[in-house]
Amino acid sequence: MADKLHPIIKLAGREFADGKLDRRDFLRVATLLGVAAPIAFGMAGLPIPARAQGTPKKGGIVRLGSRVHDLKSPHTYSWVEAANGARQCLDYLTYTGVDNVTRPNLVEKWEASPDLKSWTLRLRRDVTWRKDNRKFTADDVAWNLKRMLDAKTGSSVVGLFKGFILEEFETGEKDDKGVAKKSTRLWDANAIQKVDDFTIRLNGKTANLGIPEALFHYPALIMDPLENGEFKVGSNGTGAFEMVELDVGKRAKFVARKSGHWGGGANIDAFEIIDLGDDSAAQVTALVSKQVDMIYQGAIGTYATIERIPHLQINIVDTAYTAVARVHSIKPFDDKRVRQALRHATDPDAVLKLAHRGLGKPGEHHHVAPTHPEYANVGYMKQDIAKAKALLVEAGYPGGIDAEIVCRPQPDWELLAVQTMVEQWKEAGIRVKINVMPSAQYWSNWTKVPFGFTTWAHRPLGTMVLSLAYRTGGAWNEANWSNAEFDKMITEAEGYLEVDKRRAVMAKLERIMLDEGPIVVPLWRQVFNYTDKKIKGYKLHPSSYIEAKDMWIDA
Amino acid sequence: MLRYTAKQLLNIAVTLLAVSFLVFALNELTPIDVARKLLGPYATQDQVDILYKQMGLDRSLLARYWEYLANALSGNFGESNLYRRPVAEILWDRLGNTLVLAGICFAVIVPFSALLGVLAGMRERSFVDRAVSVFASVCASIPEFALGVFLLAIFVVGLGILPGTSPLSTSGGWPIWSQFVLPVAVVTLYDGGYLISMIRSSMVEVMRQPYIRTATLKGMPFRNVVVKHALRNALITPFTVILLQLNYLVSGLVVVEMVFAYPGFGRMMLEAALNKDIALVEAGALCAVSVTMLTQILGDLGYMALDPRIRV
Repeated sequence: MADKLHPIIKLAGREFADGKLDRRDFLRVATLLGVAAPIAFGMAGLPIPARAQGTPKKGGIVRLGSRVHDLKSPHTYSWVEAANGARQCLDYLTYTGVDNVTRPNLVEKWEASPDLKSWTLRLRRDVTWRKDNRKFTADDVAWNLKRMLDAKTGSSVVGLFKGFILEEFETGEKDDKGVAKKSTRLWDANAIQKVDDFTIRLNGKTANLGIPEALFHYPALIMDPLENGEFKVGSNGTGAFEMVELDVGKRAKFVARKSGHWGGGANIDAFEIIDLGDDSAAQVTALVSKQVDMIYQGAIGTYATIERIPHLQINIVDTAYTAVARVHSIKPFDDKRVRQALRHATDPDAVLKLAHRGLGKPGEHHHVAPTHPEYANVGYMKQDIAKAKALLVEAGYPGGIDAEIVCRPQPDWELLAVQTMVEQWKEAGIRVKINVMPSAQYWSNWTKVPFGFTTWAHRPLGTMVLSLAYRTGGAWNEANWSNAEFDKMITEAEGYLEVDKRRAVMAKLERIMLDEGPIVVPLWRQVFNYTDKKIKGYKLHPSSYIEAKDMWIDA
Repeated sequence: MLRYTAKQLLNIAVTLLAVSFLVFALNELTPIDVARKLLGPYATQDQVDILYKQMGLDRSLLARYWEYLANALSGNFGESNLYRRPVAEILWDRLGNTLVLAGICFAVIVPFSALLGVLAGMRERSFVDRAVSVFASVCASIPEFALGVFLLAIFVVGLGILPGTSPLSTSGGWPIWSQFVLPVAVVTLYDGGYLISMIRSSMVEVMRQPYIRTATLKGMPFRNVVVKHALRNALITPFTVILLQLNYLVSGLVVVEMVFAYPGFGRMMLEAALNKDIALVEAGALCAVSVTMLTQILGDLGYMALDPRIRV
């Protein structure tokens, strides 16, 4: 076994032994590189986490209160809520658990080449498609990956494989401004290689440590190629349920597969999703009158009410979820001193308390969370109104500045956070008007508004966030921020597998963000939702993914 | 009367045409990129561009409108982007739900407010009058969402005898009829408060007329005076107002539908507009305009029947 271990695991093992890497980080690296989770837990000297909460009972229905979106095209889902429907019938290749450890799922085992460029995925041999009992094979996987990664499909999985097995090319067309349009394609005909009926190899152009996690991105569901990319009532799948009813905006119903599920099937008989709209009060009253057994995510405004209802339980999880107030480099924010003033005028502790009930941690104005392994502590920036004012004077704005920030009305904490910060900024002479835009409208304009408040989802690595959001030309660089030195250092950090070295570079990156960065980070969120106490076998996932097959009802 | 009706129907056709174009053009101004919306914030720009072309959004406004109109005239209202189903299917379903709710509300509101309005108005400044008037003004001045929350606090959280939401599904363990109680109560109290005041003042007016005094003086029992002489006349003025409630009940229930998670027309329209689902917004707007104009014609015709002095 030992000689077969990936060199990085040995390295990580040494770091772990030296105390440089904590257990959780070691586990993460080891499992990502293909060590089966129980072995990795053993290597780290940790007990294998047991499924607590007693023996599961069979039977019953669990009803989830959540939006019921259109489910027709899993590969292009833009909502976790939609994936929470289809994931009951379709499976992912890998599975990142509540503990941030990625485990095998449809893939039984994976191996990475020493340079991390080539990943071999070995599939389970006992998986069958529900409708026709056909064996699940490498051809099915290849078809799905190729479809997701085709630019024409429109899947957001593309963003995660760009640079790895996808390359950018110029289409030859030009946009309105005369800039050449770019698209993506597989960099090599052999990029997705079928080795045998149960083995797939991904041959990358560059190294990538995050492939197993990328395969668990929520639209990366594995569908029956015969269904042509469409998911509907009765659609085939390898999962534990069959969708028997879908009424978008109202209700979806899933019935457990009777036999032949590779994971042993579901405990409950059926799973239902009931659409309660966007009103968080309706979600609470539905829970109170037991019309639903759980809801997708709780709102800050309803937390106190739920605490008082005896049959309900609040589930909480730490995440790297946040929202950042970010500016474009245009007047008056083209001067870095004005951007600094904005940070100095903010009191993250107060925002956390007022807008998020203290659930989480105060932000430090760089987009690397304490939950990220390479997080470097460069200090908490306390509110300093005098300094903010001085910076504004220095920048040539003795009378303060006026601006307008765009934000969303939902979830409720976002608007509260913006209102709190606007009050704080006012003290320093930064007068900001709030423009509340409906979510749908906000997401059509999020990169275009000069000053906005944008939600950022939980991601396992700090380098992933910086690369996506702050690298010159990064896919989601909403600030249009560009700093050549910063870019170089991100690449440097990505090249180090030793967390220590990565952290040293990260400290420099964080300081650059504090000095001239385009963002204010008020807080890191704890995410929460509510369940009926009779629901067992459920733990809140940091990404709010819901797996119905593990749940059971203790009546 | 036939000529009047024909003229009005022509009027409706012209208005619908104008509205359909206006909605199409105004929708253009909403700063939402449909292709981006469908693929989500994390799709790359070139993926969005490809879908944009596939949906034919790169063509001119007039070309798209013309295509829409031609399809609509042949009975094809297109497919909803949001629900990915033919517009007709989703529209009739949600409109049906709202019509059921509106129908029950209307059937409760009219007799309820007519009874209270007449009772209050027939003896001005009596105890009943004062009690009803206070009740009506309180109801009419509390916004629907607040009224909804009050009733929810009492009957759902406090007593636990009614369901908190009305998704029109029995899987929550509550029968369908019980899911109507609170929404109907909110609409009845809110809208009824207003109607009661209207009917009351009209009744007060009528009771002051000389012919009522004559009838009373000649010894007619008070009950007959009210039923035979006052009632019909007192209801002529509120009649149009009552019919106008139909508009409100069809397209104005959005707040109640949100509070009680009721899958109705108002909520559907709100979500369609927020998602720039043009096919659904168009069809919904045309429906709402038709309902408004038809109730107006109905109101005019009814008015003629009630008041012989009016002829066209």
